[in-house]
Amino acid sequence: MTTKSVPRRRSRLALAVSLAAALCLGSAACSPSSGGGGDSITVYTYGDGSTDIQQNAVNDFNKTSKVKVKLVVVPGSDYTPKLRAAMGSSAAPDVFFNWGGGSILPYVQANQLVNLTSYFNAAPLKGAFLPSIVAAGAVSGQDYGVPMRGMQPVILFYNKTLFAKYGLQTPDTWTAMQTAISTFKAHGVIPFALGDSDNWPSLMWLEYLTDRIGGLSVFSKIQSGDTSGWNSPAMTSALNQAKTLINEGTFGSAYTSTGYNDNAAPTLLGSGKAAMQLMGSWDYSNQLTNHTGFAKNDEAWTTFPNVPGGTGDPADVVGNPANYWSINARTQNLSTAVAFVEYMAQASYAKALLAGGWIPTNSDTSSLLPSFPNPDFGEFQFQMVQKAPAFQLSWDQALPTTVGTPLDTEVGKFFAGQVSASQFESDMATAQKSAS
Amino acid sequence: MTLAATRTRPAPHPHPARRRGQARVGRPRLVWALPGLLFFGLFAVAPMAYSLYLSFCGNWGGIGSARLVGAQDWQRLVNDGNIRQATKLTIELTVLSWLFQTPIALLIGVWAAGRQRNRAVLSAIFFIPLVLSSTAISLLFKALLDPNFGLAPSIGPWIGFSNGNILGSPNGALAMLVFVGGWQFMPFHTLIYQGGARQIPKVLYDASSLDGAGRIAQFFHITLPQLRHTVTTSSVLIVVGSLTSFETVFLLTAGGPGSATTTLSFAMYQNAFQDFNYGYASALGTGLVVVSTLLSLLMVRFTGFGSMRSTREGM
Amino acid sequence: MLRRVNPAAGVASLVWLLIVVVPVYVMVNASLMPQGEALGGKLLEPAPHATLANYRLVLRSGFFHLLLNNVIVTAATIVIVLVLCVPLAFAVVRARGARSLLVFRVFLLGLAIPAPVIIVPLYVMVSKFGLYDSLWAIILPTAAFAMPVTLLVLVGTMRDISEELYESMAIEGASSAQMLLRLVIPLSKGGISTVSVFAGLAAWNGLLFPLILTQSPQNQVLTTGLWNLSSEYGVDVPATLAALTLSAVPMLVLYLAARRALISGVMGVGGK
Repeated sequence: MTTKSVPRRRSRLALAVSLAAALCLGSAACSPSSGGGGDSITVYTYGDGSTDIQQNAVNDFNKTSKVKVKLVVVPGSDYTPKLRAAMGSSAAPDVFFNWGGGSILPYVQANQLVNLTSYFNAAPLKGAFLPSIVAAGAVSGQDYGVPMRGMQPVILFYNKTLFAKYGLQTPDTWTAMQTAISTFKAHGVIPFALGDSDNWPSLMWLEYLTDRIGGLSVFSKIQSGDTSGWNSPAMTSALNQAKTLINEGTFGSAYTSTGYNDNAAPTLLGSGKAAMQLMGSWDYSNQLTNHTGFAKNDEAWTTFPNVPGGTGDPADVVGNPANYWSINARTQNLSTAVAFVEYMAQASYAKALLAGGWIPTNSDTSSLLPSFPNPDFGEFQFQMVQKAPAFQLSWDQALPTTVGTPLDTEVGKFFAGQVSASQFESDMATAQKSAS
Repeated sequence: MTLAATRTRPAPHPHPARRRGQARVGRPRLVWALPGLLFFGLFAVAPMAYSLYLSFCGNWGGIGSARLVGAQDWQRLVNDGNIRQATKLTIELTVLSWLFQTPIALLIGVWAAGRQRNRAVLSAIFFIPLVLSSTAISLLFKALLDPNFGLAPSIGPWIGFSNGNILGSPNGALAMLVFVGGWQFMPFHTLIYQGGARQIPKVLYDASSLDGAGRIAQFFHITLPQLRHTVTTSSVLIVVGSLTSFETVFLLTAGGPGSATTTLSFAMYQNAFQDFNYGYASALGTGLVVVSTLLSLLMVRFTGFGSMRSTREGM
Repeated sequence: MLRRVNPAAGVASLVWLLIVVVPVYVMVNASLMPQGEALGGKLLEPAPHATLANYRLVLRSGFFHLLLNNVIVTAATIVIVLVLCVPLAFAVVRARGARSLLVFRVFLLGLAIPAPVIIVPLYVMVSKFGLYDSLWAIILPTAAFAMPVTLLVLVGTMRDISEELYESMAIEGASSAQMLLRLVIPLSKGGISTVSVFAGLAAWNGLLFPLILTQSPQNQVLTTGLWNLSSEYGVDVPATLAALTLSAVPMLVLYLAARRALISGVMGVGGK
């Protein structure tokens, strides 16, 4: 076997081949440009149960716009990778959905987003949205995102009919929650539905536990780049507390192969097989669509309880302040893209969000609340967010993706019992260090 | 996997003395091979070279352009516990797949090589899994094994999973990967063994019957040795297939629960397209290329594909 | 006439038959159930209220478009593979010198290199060439990866063509091209159909390349489409199963029509 000549021959071949290819094909599409081109712009949105609100908005916008908008719904479980892949190619969208924070940081750093600060200083965007929400879509004080969905705090949903059946109290204190857990276990009902196989639903538990036990500072340390934050006592307590909950059977026995994205966990709640679910507010619209009877008659909500001995403020909220539209700097239809995102400030859009079960982040939302399908829930959610001393963005979105996604995987491993608490902490510290 | 040549003609050698008159006519110049070579070079070889380059580009995430930063990805690769676990899992999966598929395919293939009528019917049915794509099969079993809404709660107890959470337990998930892979490829390997068994000359069996050998002795002393090359072919396919098995893992378990079924291929996908660390993923990929190349060389050596000797040798 | 009766293997075959048939039965059976019924988990019993609603749903969700894309990708892959590899194999077998063996061995090395291994640089390259999210992004790499096996089979087939036939054509003054068209290709029909089947199957069932290299709904093929539909339907298991059943129909039809050709193509691999 002439092994020595093969690599040389192959590399020469590879070089010749690459040059030839570059000449033939490179001329076709040299620089990645935006997808739409001349008479349309492409908008990417996250695919879950409620994209029809955005689709209706697009249809309305297209009625009066010369340049049409094409909405592309990307399946949720695949959204971030697909967006990243598309942004690096010639099929990049003009406008795309994101979570602000770390989710747009790499694009901002590569100068791939349009700076929207000037637009926020003029009508119609000026003063249209709650300032804290707009701030969550900013990077280093410059605005890059226009809020386009409602606020999404993580709420403890529960089945009040089941609770009444077993004479249980609202699970907004630790003891009430523990009592509920043991009662439901005894009666063959899964206490908490958990879509652990998608990893991020389990992260919500860790976020709340850490915040209740040690307050905001635990994560802000990590977010600022200090990897020793992972080793903090509060983090360890939170992990151990989660472990105790798991071992108590809080999530049933099949949680490691139950997902959220495929609607398995919500269906458990909506069909009465599970009694509670800790989930973002969007799950309410999901239940409205898929289990209307449950949503209207049996569903109730409360805040995550305080953990005994914890120092965090029990009014703190975790979740997604909102979702945002950001504009690709390489768009060839900037004015249309801007007009489209400015459409979000319209009252008609806010009303459409309300009707769909979302609480919009507009400044005048409180006046619109009575038209919410379930005014009690609307009021509850709005108050929860307004009164919160802090609204912590989901960790996997607050951190850059090279740390955020390994975090999700690591949480999945922890909940499956494959790593211990200390291993989790050291793995995360390593992941964050090697990503910087 | 190839047609081991049974003709006795050797590969053409340059012997101009013997082919004086026909030296040039009818022999295409190697330039005929150029389009194919270029194409293969562009889409298979060039990416490998590029993969090596990217493996020295650190944490490049696909935004902007890649820059060489050094061998940090390789250092991390060697020390990475996750990769070590993925390697262990990949080897386990390979060995288990071989142990599951080979004996059964061999037995059924040899049996099906007989000429009874119902064997033709059964062969037709065995072929059905081949008609479904790998994707369809994985999705089918994922639906069937759903712990809340599938068959798993009913059949789980029969195989030792009382709560039906087969896919949610590390051993169960790995077992399912082996099972689904076997379900999918068993007909293929059965056919390979059937083809191989059909080639065994009857005369060998007749001769041994005359000597008083029973069925089992015949199986071990005639059938198995004659199927030597077939076993190699089939085994190599199973091994290489397990190394590259991505689709089943992706669709059935997504590497889970946790990371209990994160094989090397899946780890590569995760690093590249979920963690957006193209540099590290390329280091892993390049490492896999080296291993696969070695496997390929061994394969060429052991089965004699390169020289194509006949299985009928020595008769 | 082999008269070996083998009860052990017979029993094993029956058991395996069950293992093969039961999931397929459940797939078809449950696909006929309305969603609410399937949530009960009793998928083994024949559907009491059989309905075709799930199939209608799948067909409305763009199934024919997926099928069309799949056909395009498969046909294009087979054509490219044959056009490139037949002359290539011919050259390897007939050209003189150590170089032809070298070319052959280069491709042999490619045999065991799995596609997932180079998917990252391939993705970057495809994006840079402007091919991202097009059917070509699926066709070209699939064809390239089918080439080593194709070459192996074709070279094996062509080497069986005896030297005398070439000589007699050379006496008639035939050029290499004429030899290829009039002698080699007709005599290699078996090998050509085998590699067409392999390349076609690889293209028809491929998931990795469409998954990573395409994106928008109009470029989905059967595999990515099925995955998409199954995530969209979520726990609506009957709908997912209906989609899976439909996806098997084209291959089933082909199999019934060309069973012998397919089986002999695969069995030829076992060793002559």
